[in-house]
Amino acid sequence: MNGGAAGGRGSALVLNLYIGIFFAYLFLPLVIMVAAAFNDYSPPSVTVWRGFTLDWFPALWADTRMWQGLINSLLIALGVVLISIPCGLAGALILTRLDSRMNAPLYAIMVSPILTPGIILGVSTLVFWRNFGVGGGLLLAAIAQATFIASYCMLMFMARLQRQDRALEEAALDLGATHARAFFRITVPFLMPTILTAAVIAFLQSIENYNTTVFAIGGDHTLVTEIGSRMRFGLSPVVNVIGVIFVVLTVISATAYVLLKQREQLRARARG
Amino acid sequence: MTSRIGAVEAVTAPQEAPRPRPALLVRATRGGPLAGLFRAYGDLMAGVILVIGAVWVLGLITLPQVFMLEQSLWHERRGGEQVQLTLEIDNAYQDLELLRFDRMALEGDQSAEAEAERERIQARMAELEQRIAELEAAERQPVRTYGLANYARMSGLHFQIFLKTLVAGALVTLIALVVCYPMAYVVAKVATPQRAALLMLGLVIPYAINELLRIFAWLMILDFNGVLNTMLGWLGLAPVRYLDSSAGVFVGMVYAYVLFMVFPIYNTVETLDRNQIEAARDLGASTFKIHSRIVIPHAKPGIAVGCIMTFMLAVGSYSVPQILSRGSAGDWFSQLIYKQFFESFNWNTGSAYAFTLLLTCIAFIFVMMAIFRVGIRDIAR
Repeated sequence: MNGGAAGGRGSALVLNLYIGIFFAYLFLPLVIMVAAAFNDYSPPSVTVWRGFTLDWFPALWADTRMWQGLINSLLIALGVVLISIPCGLAGALILTRLDSRMNAPLYAIMVSPILTPGIILGVSTLVFWRNFGVGGGLLLAAIAQATFIASYCMLMFMARLQRQDRALEEAALDLGATHARAFFRITVPFLMPTILTAAVIAFLQSIENYNTTVFAIGGDHTLVTEIGSRMRFGLSPVVNVIGVIFVVLTVISATAYVLLKQREQLRARARG
Repeated sequence: MTSRIGAVEAVTAPQEAPRPRPALLVRATRGGPLAGLFRAYGDLMAGVILVIGAVWVLGLITLPQVFMLEQSLWHERRGGEQVQLTLEIDNAYQDLELLRFDRMALEGDQSAEAEAERERIQARMAELEQRIAELEAAERQPVRTYGLANYARMSGLHFQIFLKTLVAGALVTLIALVVCYPMAYVVAKVATPQRAALLMLGLVIPYAINELLRIFAWLMILDFNGVLNTMLGWLGLAPVRYLDSSAGVFVGMVYAYVLFMVFPIYNTVETLDRNQIEAARDLGASTFKIHSRIVIPHAKPGIAVGCIMTFMLAVGSYSVPQILSRGSAGDWFSQLIYKQFFESFNWNTGSAYAFTLLLTCIAFIFVMMAIFRVGIRDIAR
């Protein structure tokens, strides 16, 4: 530990010990889950070891309900992106231009879905849309998820818009560009990186959502709700295989994310 | 800001004949709170932006909550009263038949007395028929009664479950705060950049892995034939049924939501100027003093957000109790809500329970804002 002000060798040791225990706590359960995916034994276990196997991977491949769940999850995620990007962007544009005391309350309302328990978003969406004859299903799940995912998108757009140089837009308008032209040639290209990031994050948030979806999905199922009901009724190493796939994907994308962020920080430091 | 832009525009805008615009639009766009939006994006696009924004705020965020509240405030008469109504209708039909029989008996009698009696019976029959029609309408359309009955209906057991959920949520939040604050501080201020990046990676990976899979990992550990009991067996100890008590759920909640505390705190501590810490140390402040007087006051918004998120996720968690409880383990509040909706099909009571949970979370947010003296703007950033 450099930065080293923590006060002597003793406290540095305590700190390192603490970090070690904390990460062991975080990672040991995941290691157990991953290891059991390669154990030739069901229910999944690491303490009863019957030898290494890859048999559970084809078992997952042959699982049609899981495939259907994956297709449903992808459909919902697509719907969520299509709803939450326009909603989040519209919200951010309104908030950055609204000149009123209503600004703060409106901001609070737009952010509130993030601070609301997921099950309540699912319940209220279910109750509301029944009045229009929309019952539980893929569409309703997409609507319920978009409610709070749009808030995340809104926050990302707000952050980006705050760094916008408005003079460019105004110059374009002064030079005779129509509002539409100024918007699509200046504002949208400026926002494009955020639109892409927000779309990816919205997509991932949607895929992995459980608490909201389970109330809005009706008789259908997504990949994650299917995993949830499998866990309830007996364990199968097939779930561990899904775990392995998720862990691998997460490790790759998290590493990329952290590396990118670090490079950004270093560049900012070099500039500043 | 906007007035300055307006002034610039007034000077530089090309003078051309304005197109005619609806009066309301003129009023909304000139001056007024929406002027900036209309000036920047034009009538058409500003209109579209406003419509989409309104659809989100009204159609997705507020109206569903209003409808849920409305649903929670009424209930329909059913059960005993409905049975009584049916009985009453049956009796009325019997009376009607008797009267019809009496009338038939008087048939053919031409005396004035019989005539009067016939009329009396006729009137009575008409009355009864009307009454039957009313009762049958009432039977088909159960009466909606508004009130707080759905909230008052929460039984002693359900209220205990509610309290258990709140206490567990608060404890999870407290544990997460104690465990995560040092971690966030280390990553943000103590570690070298390379090491901080590595630690960050170690935090992001478990955070990003699907909630259900993280809970599943603990299911493997806490299951009766799971890792923990096998290890107890190696030590010659008897196995424990963790999942048949609330303990399993609590352990799972801590693991599932602990990291939601790290990142908000990290984000605020990160912005603290390192020089402030160094200066305090040079002037002889103890580690405790540095944290209580410099780091924690600076990190308040992050701590508040972390507490709000962790508490909200824990009390509203359906996944953890659903996966990590078996057999004799009691329900958690989220499961009660689910059962009201999908097992008892009592949406009114379900809505009342859901709204109770929502109010609890809102109250918690205000408590946190008061304790840490932060505003709503500081919270969701």
